[in-house]
Amino acid sequence: MSLINNKNNYRVFLLASFIALNILVLYAITSILAYLNEGADRSTMLHLDKMTINTYLPKVSWESLENPGRAMEKQTLATLEKHYLFSWYIKNNALKTNTSEGIADYFTENPRKILDTIIQQNKANKISIESTTLTHNPKLEFYSEDGQLVVFTDENVIEFQNIYQDKKLVTSVKDTATYKVLMLLEDGFWRIRHCERMAKVADTLQANTNEKTFTVKGNQILKNNKPFVIKGINYYPKNSAWDMYGDLFNLDTIATDFDIISKAKLNTIRIFVPYEDFGKAEVKTEKIEKLKQVLELAKTKKLAVIITLFDFYGDYSVSNWTLTQRHAETVVSSCKNFDNIIAWDIKNEPDLDFESRGIQNVKPWLSEMIEVVKKAAPNHLVTIGYSSIKAGEILKDEVDFVSYHYYEDILLFKDKLAILEKATNKPLVVQEFGMSSNKGFWSWNGNSKEDQAEYHKKMQAIFKEKQLAFVSWTLYDFPKVPNGVAGKWPWIKNKQKQFGFIDVEGRQKPSFSYISY
Amino acid sequence: MMKRKLHIIIILVSIALVLLSVTLLDKKSITKNTLSYITTQENFVAGKPIAIEFKGSFENKPQLYIIHSFGRTLLDGILKKDIIQFNLPKNYYNKTSLVSWFLIENNDEKAKGNFQIIPNDETKTNLESYLGPPSTLVGDGHFTMFVTIPTDNFDNPKFTNTEVAIKHQFLNTIATDNEKTKDFIAWKNIYAPTKSGGVLISASCNEAITKEFDAVIYPSIATDFTIAYKRNHEFADGNQITRLTTSILKDKFGNTVSDGTMVTFIIKNKENVLLKTFGTTIEGIATGQILHPEKENSYIVKAYVNGISKSNSIQINYKSINPTIAYSFSKDNRTISVGPIKSFMNQIVPDGIKVTLRIYHNDTLVETIIEDSNRGKATFYLSPEFYKEKKYSFEIETLGKTIKKAEKNVSNK
Repeated sequence: MSLINNKNNYRVFLLASFIALNILVLYAITSILAYLNEGADRSTMLHLDKMTINTYLPKVSWESLENPGRAMEKQTLATLEKHYLFSWYIKNNALKTNTSEGIADYFTENPRKILDTIIQQNKANKISIESTTLTHNPKLEFYSEDGQLVVFTDENVIEFQNIYQDKKLVTSVKDTATYKVLMLLEDGFWRIRHCERMAKVADTLQANTNEKTFTVKGNQILKNNKPFVIKGINYYPKNSAWDMYGDLFNLDTIATDFDIISKAKLNTIRIFVPYEDFGKAEVKTEKIEKLKQVLELAKTKKLAVIITLFDFYGDYSVSNWTLTQRHAETVVSSCKNFDNIIAWDIKNEPDLDFESRGIQNVKPWLSEMIEVVKKAAPNHLVTIGYSSIKAGEILKDEVDFVSYHYYEDILLFKDKLAILEKATNKPLVVQEFGMSSNKGFWSWNGNSKEDQAEYHKKMQAIFKEKQLAFVSWTLYDFPKVPNGVAGKWPWIKNKQKQFGFIDVEGRQKPSFSYISY
Repeated sequence: MMKRKLHIIIILVSIALVLLSVTLLDKKSITKNTLSYITTQENFVAGKPIAIEFKGSFENKPQLYIIHSFGRTLLDGILKKDIIQFNLPKNYYNKTSLVSWFLIENNDEKAKGNFQIIPNDETKTNLESYLGPPSTLVGDGHFTMFVTIPTDNFDNPKFTNTEVAIKHQFLNTIATDNEKTKDFIAWKNIYAPTKSGGVLISASCNEAITKEFDAVIYPSIATDFTIAYKRNHEFADGNQITRLTTSILKDKFGNTVSDGTMVTFIIKNKENVLLKTFGTTIEGIATGQILHPEKENSYIVKAYVNGISKSNSIQINYKSINPTIAYSFSKDNRTISVGPIKSFMNQIVPDGIKVTLRIYHNDTLVETIIEDSNRGKATFYLSPEFYKEKKYSFEIETLGKTIKKAEKNVSNK
């Protein structure tokens, strides 16, 4: 018997190894075929016009097209602008990677030689400069009759750069200068022939003096010049948490929720604009429309709004700044006339990205973004929602009011707040706080619904005592939480699901009595 | 005495106070600025080495970050006691720019400033120039633009207001204009003279001279003109050719138009049918050819340069040659031979003259057969498959003459 069994074992083993071998051989052949089929796209053989979209979008505004030569055509101007921006993009990229890729397309021979030596030197000294330009204000000086030569002055180009040596950050520098540029049309490319850096010119931009609904005076936020205490809540519809403007978007649901919020004596909501979902640099109009509908609805329900931008954005690399700036500009400027927007919150908890993305990238990104948003909506305030009360001091002089999130011990709250109050005299807002009632299968020693109610009761008591502005987390328990928010571990996800004042079935939890003061 | 002493004391005390305060102030400023920028020069000439110096006590070796027209880099300094010197690399100091510098010590910006690198006027001047468009029409404000970019030997555009002499020649006139550079360039519009030909253009700046550029000045568009015709004889023989010629086409300044100008001759005949022929000009004259008609006709001819100008209209009459036409029927009347057809001098007509035979039965047209003449003859055959044994009448037409033949019985014999 044992002999027969042995034989069977051998057979099974032989058969299995044969099949496995076959699979391996097939796999190898397919990967070889796949390897042979990859390579450059055939269309790259053609000299097709390259697309600037999604690579480099600094703000460009032509001041004047009047010139003593030929009248500038729209079409030419578009090409010129595109190629000029490409010359910057390629120069920035060359200084970052120390390769001369693309230089030949956008620079004529002499400048190319200089650039090559500069790149070689930086490479030898292990210097890498990550840079971007943020605004361009070109003024056409001359366009030749045959349409082959153009001279313009690019006034007050804002440049930002992070300088690395031996892969270590040396410093960050922001500078403004004017460039006078002569470009020639060669082989269908506008190429830089001469480029001279010059002193910046005096800025003639005037401050916008529109009527503001929300203003800041000392450490108070005012609404129509009367003190306004934010009593708010972070809002996502129950069934479309973190995906508010997706397929489940339903104004009726949101209207009902807004009624619940205003009946609970809250006056503010905080909502989020996800960066990728809204189309990155090319913002989708249908998403903007949905956002506007929400804002309009909030207005009818007399709710003020804090909008947090750049949700789910995490790449702060200098070369992509211009894309994010165009995103913010489009979103913010299309909502600039809503007088129920208290503030634009630049980014949710950006301080958590300091380590992974480099503080030298994140902090100046925030600071530049504040300027972009302020320019796009001069009537609205700007804030940044930091993940902890300690981080509140970052860029405190640039925001209109300081926002922080508090998930730490209640007992420490007053002391920590006192430190922040000492550091800044701007208004402070607890923009997120809350407790998950997640006691159950995934968390044996979690908090119960009663604990949650107790927590909010205590917090509201403190808020009432000090008349503090608060925005709690959050209205609903969520049946589903995307992996992007809390990772894929069920015990963490489960916690994130149960921060609400209302449970999944729509019943008010005990904490609902302490939703406001 | 006492008063004097008091005065002296007061003066002394105040002097002491002033001195003390000055030293105190001095001390403060020293403690504040541990380093100072000691390069006083603000403008440097391109091509000459540039050294930037700072004085101070440096714990760590500071670095200088510079932003230049074409690039950015980080420089290491040479430390000599309490002075640190930064030397710009050649590729930076050769090119004009506003250079911004940032002194970095321990990842911190300690000082910043600017200096200017200006073009080097002592080096050889180079002149890059562009002429465009390379050709234009005479007069009427048409022009070609000559753009020059004077640079120093390091390829830096020269200072604003650098003078460039732009010269241009046409026939006996040579003109020189001194243009000053602005925005890197000095330029001039060279307006077209009213005579066609070539304009030569060149420029010079200091010792730099450009090569000779030439712009072609083409004649402008044609004005109205006249036409005439020439022919061998006036007979409508369907064979000879009438040549239509234009007068010399000229523009409004009297220049003969460019060769190859297309002229369209539009011909209207007696039946109001439009015919067309074309010619292109050589030395201003275009020629078109038309074949004589095969019968008497009268042509009205007018020529156009499409959309630009027109000619007078002329009339050409063609006389009938009134040929003598012989013909015969075969026995069964199935073969009809026409010819010889004789022309105006009794000569046999050229080959290829159209001969038309119309066949009627009871006054209704059965068929029209057309044959070309060969040695003055044409033969028609009525096949038995189609033409049954019936009575038919015939009409023979050629060169505008028609002969009617009464009914004949077509048989099969």
